[in-house]
Amino acid sequence: MTIDRARFDQGLTYEAYKDQMTRNRDRLEENEQRVALSKEDLAAFRALPRAVKVVVLAEDWCGDVLANLPVLGRLAKESGKLDVRIFLRDQNDDIMQRYLNKGQFKSIPVFVFFDDDFRELGHWIERPASVTEVRAKRRKDIFAAHPEFGSPDAPVDQLAEEIRVRLQAELAKMRDETAKFANAEVIREIREIATRVAA
Amino acid sequence: MTPVAHKVKITYCAECGYEPQTLDLAKALMLEFGARLSCIELIPWEGGTFDVSFDGDLLHSMTRDGGFPKPDAIKEAVRARLSA
Repeated sequence: MTIDRARFDQGLTYEAYKDQMTRNRDRLEENEQRVALSKEDLAAFRALPRAVKVVVLAEDWCGDVLANLPVLGRLAKESGKLDVRIFLRDQNDDIMQRYLNKGQFKSIPVFVFFDDDFRELGHWIERPASVTEVRAKRRKDIFAAHPEFGSPDAPVDQLAEEIRVRLQAELAKMRDETAKFANAEVIREIREIATRVAA
Repeated sequence: MTPVAHKVKITYCAECGYEPQTLDLAKALMLEFGARLSCIELIPWEGGTFDVSFDGDLLHSMTRDGGFPKPDAIKEAVRARLSA
């Protein structure tokens, strides 16, 4: 399966995607508002010699989509140089099969960058490895600081409900505290791909 | 003889879209065992989790075993424990 103009045009714009969401639109838009774009990053995207087409695979239940798609959405809106079309993963398996994470997993979001002639510039999947690494360390720290949470590797259903709720709150706080770093890493990685477009 | 309460817990990643598999398994257990299970608890979680336990024994873990369990395999494991 290759992406051509006709297929690209079948995708949803960012606004149309938001309009068809059946859940979590408030979380997506909240994250969108929180994305901090530096002048330098914005200038780099605005300086692209031509608009880059971006095919996205997404679903509205996915936490990584809710976190990372708004970064792309804000960059597209504010730079005017990213032409984004979104495809629902579970209705577009042919595209998904081409961009499996580690060749096996249907991880989303997927961002695939193309030039005007639909030559692929590169693709991006799920979240930056640096973010996974930082959050794994922070998660370990949370368990170390709270012996009542037990082992990080133990099944969570062994925890009493009240402890489980507290653990969930700690993990949510940690994700919130690392969101700024995560957004910056997403911007850095997709900027590296988008700027491969030839003049 | 004092009746024993047996509980199945299904912990699923709520950010991964695993609700259909969770509901399918819960339904299969409800239809198979009825009131022989005192409770089927569904626990929304994160991090790609899909764990199934019976009275605290882990029957399946996506992290440990990979993938989703086959409902028939879980039913078989539950049946064996109920008759033990």
